Amino acid sequence: MDEPSPPTNQFGSLNDVAHELASLEDLASRGSWRSILDKVSRARSLNLLSNPHDHLIYLTYNVLALSKLRRFADASTDLDTLDDFNSHYYKYETYPQLYPNRSGSMLPFSLRFIHAQLPIKLGNRQEGLDRFYSLLNFIRQKIKEKESNNLHDSVKIWKRRENFVLNCLIGHHLGDKEFILCLDLIKDMINRDYLDPLLVSKLGYIQMQIGDIEGAKGSFNHVETMLNEGKNDGYSFLSEVQFKNLVNRNKALVYVVGKDYVSAVREYEECIERDHTDVVAINNKALCLMYLRDLSDSIKVLENALERVPTRALNETLVVNLCSMYELAYVNHSEIKRTLNNWIVHVAPDDFDASCIRV
Amino acid sequence: MSTTQQGTHSLAFRVMRLCKPSFHVEPPFRLDPADLFVGEDIFDDPLAAANLPPLLSSQLTKSMDSSDLTYGNRFLLHHPSDAMGFSGLLLLPQSFGAIYLGETFCSYISINNNSNFEVRDIIIKAEIQTERQRILLLDTSKSPVESVRAGGRYDFIVEHDVKELGAHTLVCTALYNDNDGERKYLPQFFKFVVANPLSVRTKVRTVKETTYLEACIENHTKSNLYMDQVEFEPAPHWSATVLKADELHPADNSSTGEIFKPPILIRSGGGIHNYLYQLKLASPDSAQMKVEGTNILGKLQITWRTNLGEPGRLQTQQILGTPISRKEIELQILEIPSLINLDKSFLVHLNLTNHTDRELGPFEVQLSQNSAHEEKKVMINGLQTMVLPQVEAFGSTDFHLSLIATKLGVQRISGITVSDTTEKKTYDPLPDVEIFVESD
Repeated sequence: MDEPSPPTNQFGSLNDVAHELASLEDLASRGSWRSILDKVSRARSLNLLSNPHDHLIYLTYNVLALSKLRRFADASTDLDTLDDFNSHYYKYETYPQLYPNRSGSMLPFSLRFIHAQLPIKLGNRQEGLDRFYSLLNFIRQKIKEKESNNLHDSVKIWKRRENFVLNCLIGHHLGDKEFILCLDLIKDMINRDYLDPLLVSKLGYIQMQIGDIEGAKGSFNHVETMLNEGKNDGYSFLSEVQFKNLVNRNKALVYVVGKDYVSAVREYEECIERDHTDVVAINNKALCLMYLRDLSDSIKVLENALERVPTRALNETLVVNLCSMYELAYVNHSEIKRTLNNWIVHVAPDDFDASCIRV
Repeated sequence: MSTTQQGTHSLAFRVMRLCKPSFHVEPPFRLDPADLFVGEDIFDDPLAAANLPPLLSSQLTKSMDSSDLTYGNRFLLHHPSDAMGFSGLLLLPQSFGAIYLGETFCSYISINNNSNFEVRDIIIKAEIQTERQRILLLDTSKSPVESVRAGGRYDFIVEHDVKELGAHTLVCTALYNDNDGERKYLPQFFKFVVANPLSVRTKVRTVKETTYLEACIENHTKSNLYMDQVEFEPAPHWSATVLKADELHPADNSSTGEIFKPPILIRSGGGIHNYLYQLKLASPDSAQMKVEGTNILGKLQITWRTNLGEPGRLQTQQILGTPISRKEIELQILEIPSLINLDKSFLVHLNLTNHTDRELGPFEVQLSQNSAHEEKKVMINGLQTMVLPQVEAFGSTDFHLSLIATKLGVQRISGITVSDTTEKKTYDPLPDVEIFVESD
């Protein structure tokens, strides 16, 4: 560049990227979404945000926080304060003094994603799915554009977004039990070279959910072959431990289907030995113990996990399972559930849905 | 769902249906840092593209670090497929759900001592009671449970293959000595209703020697049913082959072809799937198998699977084919000369067989007029009626018919009909036979 070069620490830390972003990010990591709402509100009312991109990022955190707190209508209202997403107001080139030599959209992509997911959470499923499919087309257009302009880093990012939206779609169709459609979508992704062990494993889980056990076994064998051949494509971020645990957990599921709960427990224990924060293994192991008539130990496994690794183990599904076990084990289960509830209130992030405790 | 007698019992039954767990799915609000901290097109800028990734990945690493107590895993994506919200976490059944004929009822039963004292010599029984019968699932009479301490439990799991429709009751009883030495009896009842999961409609069509069976399976349950095995078990002397439509996508990418073939999944609440079978009588000597009256083809065995492979099995009643009409008389053409000339008579060799157990006849053989009353091109040469004598029971007779063709080219011998003059019965004519008439 022949101009005086911009400060090289432009991306050195989060606060370089946006106003007090480090603080926002810290609050988000701790699940303090209510504090985020306060911070955004304060920043807006005290006019602390000088740049357009700061406004957009704060808006994104605000909408995200409202969504996390299940205030979907409020999130939708806040999103609607934006103009058309593709408006020039949100383009870098509209503010050349602020963003020299930069062009394109400064809108955080998450806003488009949240915009598509909100209607579904509000009960308007068809609208949400339509938005997701439109978003998919939008992304594919972007990929073509970036490819023709040789912007390789952008192509990678937009392809990851394509992968992400496809996964969202599969999740929503799964929730509606549209299994054949999910299988077709995954097949399509595999054909587009999004072949990765997690995706193939999830294909196996869907096949298992349907009841196509032989199909599931085939998928799991494929994953194991990928492990043995050292295949782990660029998107995977799977460490060796995670990969091995994935294979063990898949094996365990086959045992669960065959009602061989003893072998399933053994597989899960291998996982936990390697990674004591593997919550899927912990949760599923507890269920297997229950199917082995060992309700007491199944409860202990879940309680221990909550105690030892609360920030990993505390998820709504695990808590629902624990409460079901309490309801079976104790005639007067209200008391023990209240104790659990009191503990959770102190430890849980703001977005934890405590209705799962059914006190 | 549970009813129990009033009174101060130290023990209480807790019951939970143990069908297979299910996978939890819920697409979350989880984001990639690159989609949150910066504008979506920022990576067009080479400076950003070079300097941002380390910053973004350090945020991700922080959220994955388990030693740092963070809930980052609830809001950052570690992998794109996290967006599916389908991690393989299993969820216990949250309600009793529906139960169908052919499934297996499985239940966790826990007997709790919620008193402050020990309870001794417990005889526990679990039974399923239906309209028709009482089925014992568990009985500890021979070896009673010695004791259950205060606050303690005794657990067991029972299984029962559901073979009846309608109301079922799981009856759990405990006979025990409480703290006062009093022998107490605790019955508890858990009711459920078994419904019909499927209905099967069949259609039978016979074309010449082959019988086709079309079976339509309709799903009345609340889940999609995976058809694991649908097999037709033919009756003795029948063989069956299932007929499938050609694969819609034959030239599949080999990597996906390896992974899975499309499953047969019947939609819940009224979905249907059709199966087509081709049935043939196994023995070539089919004539002996043709008995008058109904014709049992066989039955369908259906195995389906639902959630996590939970199986169900049913078989249909005997499926009947179309009744076969008894063939008393069989007329066949044995030989036609290979060279037939115009206006020159030729002999056709025929055979008449009597399939009954009594003497039949005498018979008359003629060429009947077709409905259009067209002049026939192939006629009987000589007397228009041939008389045949009586044929004994299970016997047969050979004869020749002299015919003459009056037109060149491809012609038909049609309408060869035999009648029994005694019983005054005319049988169906022989099907048309084509011949080629040449000039001299």
